[in-house]
Amino acid sequence: MPPDQRARVVMAGSKPVPAGYRNEEETVPAVRVTDLYKVFGRRESKAVELLSDGRHRDEIQDLGVTAAVIDVSFDVKAGEIFVVMGLSGSGKSTLIRMLNGLLEPSAGTVEIDGTSITDLGHRDLRALRSKKISMVFQHFALFPHRSVLENAAYGLEVQGIPRPERRERASEALGLVGLDGWEDHLPEQLSGGMRQRVGLARALAADTDIILMDEAFSALDPLIRRDMQSQLLELQHTLGKTIVFITHDLNEAMRLGDRICVLRDGRVAQIGTAEEILNDPANDYVAQFVEDVDRTRVLTASSVMEPPIPVVDPSSGPRTALRTMRDNQVATTFVVRRDRRLVGIVREEAIGEAVRTGVTKLDNLVNDDVEQVSPETPLAELFHQAAETPYPLAVVDDEKRLVGVIPRVTLLAALASQNGSATSDEQTEPPEEEPGETGDGATATSEEEQQ
Amino acid sequence: MSPQAAIELPRIPVGTAFENLINWLRDNLGPLFDAIGLVIDTIVGALGDFLYEPSATQLTVLASAVIALGLLRQQVRLPVLITVVSYIALLVAELAGGVATAAIVQLPAPLFQWAMGLFDSEFVYPPLLVALALLLAVTALSFTTTAARSQWILAGGAVVALLVILLGEHTFGVPFDVFGVLLFATLAFAVAGWRLAVFALLGFMLIVSMNRWEEAMSTLALVLVATGAAVTIAVPIGIIAAYNNRVSALVKPVLDFMQTMPAFVYLIPAIAFFGVGQVPGVIATIVFAMPPGVRLTELGIRQVDKELVEAGEAFGAPNTQILRGIQLPLALATIMAGVNQVIMLSLSMVVIAGMVGAGGLGSTVYSGIAQADSALGFEGGIAVVLLAIFLDRLTSSVTRFSPAERARRRAAAA
Repeated sequence: MPPDQRARVVMAGSKPVPAGYRNEEETVPAVRVTDLYKVFGRRESKAVELLSDGRHRDEIQDLGVTAAVIDVSFDVKAGEIFVVMGLSGSGKSTLIRMLNGLLEPSAGTVEIDGTSITDLGHRDLRALRSKKISMVFQHFALFPHRSVLENAAYGLEVQGIPRPERRERASEALGLVGLDGWEDHLPEQLSGGMRQRVGLARALAADTDIILMDEAFSALDPLIRRDMQSQLLELQHTLGKTIVFITHDLNEAMRLGDRICVLRDGRVAQIGTAEEILNDPANDYVAQFVEDVDRTRVLTASSVMEPPIPVVDPSSGPRTALRTMRDNQVATTFVVRRDRRLVGIVREEAIGEAVRTGVTKLDNLVNDDVEQVSPETPLAELFHQAAETPYPLAVVDDEKRLVGVIPRVTLLAALASQNGSATSDEQTEPPEEEPGETGDGATATSEEEQQ
Repeated sequence: MSPQAAIELPRIPVGTAFENLINWLRDNLGPLFDAIGLVIDTIVGALGDFLYEPSATQLTVLASAVIALGLLRQQVRLPVLITVVSYIALLVAELAGGVATAAIVQLPAPLFQWAMGLFDSEFVYPPLLVALALLLAVTALSFTTTAARSQWILAGGAVVALLVILLGEHTFGVPFDVFGVLLFATLAFAVAGWRLAVFALLGFMLIVSMNRWEEAMSTLALVLVATGAAVTIAVPIGIIAAYNNRVSALVKPVLDFMQTMPAFVYLIPAIAFFGVGQVPGVIATIVFAMPPGVRLTELGIRQVDKELVEAGEAFGAPNTQILRGIQLPLALATIMAGVNQVIMLSLSMVVIAGMVGAGGLGSTVYSGIAQADSALGFEGGIAVVLLAIFLDRLTSSVTRFSPAERARRRAAAA
């Protein structure tokens, strides 16, 4: 779940936006790419000139150049997973190699934490790579002559950390990726998934804020790939690394990316969250691309949930509760404290009974066995929980505050709309809950970034 | 009817120019060539003598070296370093000012009588004493610093073998070549396994029985020195060529030239510079044998997975660290194949070098040719073949000790 979206959800619940989210725009981005070009060939500057006039890269081929990256600009916020997605030949690998200076841009700048790396000398560039940016490779790039532990410790070795500390930190990183006990094995003795974990541990052990991942999971088979994606999300959640992830797999991009940059023929086709790209593709190319995506895995609880109205306070009496329900014409309502923490759910029949028998407190009437989901839960995982309970699902945030509800009918409506975004307008969903609507603000910012 | 006036291309005096160049070099850089010649001659001579008939001191140092290598493999580094440095310091002090001799004179003579008697040495010979001290030190280290039984066996075995050889040679008059064969077989066993050990035993016995041991050892010395020099020159050139396409493009035709120019041709300027003897043989061998070393080093380094080099760069490693830590270890198998080829080519040059008086098996074969003595020629030839097979198998199994292979065995043991 992208931070900005979380912020939106909270706003829907009419609560102040947490400070951490609001200030994000003002801090220096972890990576800032401005008007970046990479042209291979002799007549670089001429090619850049033509390309910036809007020529397609196929039109300038007679210059004898290959344009890999054309006029790309974006910011990656600290602690974000930024996915660059494109088919092969779209320039994504070239792009990522310019972020840590393995390739020199033909034009434009790359800034890491506010420092432009395009002006750095070799020595400073190396220092920057070893301290700020590490990288995970498509084919793992593990050193076959070093043990798993020595591989994981490579970044620290380059940093000149003494051996005992190196070993300790590398073992820690291996523990993080679940490879305890494999330290003395060789990479070739490991399966593909485990090898890439070593690659990941090597990047984590280097303890850089930014990790570049170049098609890191593309060489793995689908089941392992899913595992690795989950693990990466988990790690990113606990460690808060900034990750730039390259992939050609849209599902992977949708699953991992807080924001996604779609590249086409070296140019940016669209930048935005998974939901923005799904619901509001910038052009036919992107639309065509996202056609086959399984929306139930991309759309999350927060995108279909309804505002939690009405709610009752646990201190109020059954009469108040009954009136609230009757006013809103609902049969159940959630009970939340003043700080919006969820207590449970009450049913109209039970309350009516209580009012008749003269009970004055809600306490015993509250059913606290409520199915709770987090705003980030994909739709696909909601169906099972929805089937378990007769009540609506409660969407709660990390602090157990109720941010929304999902009645079954809403879930079904969302599922129905999955069959084609074109038909979604005909659905019976309340218009204010249409995900495209809530995404408007972010779409606008992403469009600004494209220019 | 013959044409009256054939158009003639002007004759380009390539040969004369070459000759002039050689003369000029000889006249102007004579002392340099003399120095090089002296160094090579000394090294080849000393190595040949050592291989043929090592002194008690040399054997003692050899045994100490074997034990010290074992210690290094057991991760005992600092004590070994200190011991070796003090040995060298003592030796230098002795050679320069007779320090050890002076010290020994102070000590009561009976202390050494027994040890010296063992070596059939009539007087107390200080370098031998210093070497014995070294042997004692590394043996003591083996039993105190490591708990590894293999190291104890190695140290004990080396000392016992040394005593057996010295006793056998000096007291019972067994010729050294018998022990030499056994030592080569042991080396083969340690590096390549029992098959090569058996081969070495039988093959070298045959050389001894053909009475060609001295020549064989002289040839081996020449090959080893030439190979050492060729590899020392070839590997850095190969590395530079792997890094730089222009150097690579420049080096390639030069290597082609070196390899295809008939080897005899090298002998002519070599003789002009260094006179007759071992030195022109070594020089011609170096020139002829070097190309595969360069080529395979370049190939090996270029073959290292680009992504691995990129990984090194991505983590901020400087070029030297990438070269040392990634490229060379991974290219080692290919580089060793190059070294192997260098050795083979060196051996094939031996007979040609024999023509200019390099001695060894080359001279044997050459006199066989000159005298039309097929028995002599064949014996020399067979000895060359046996040496070649031994060296080939030995060097091709040295890759077992490459970092990749070592790591593999460590992992298998874990």
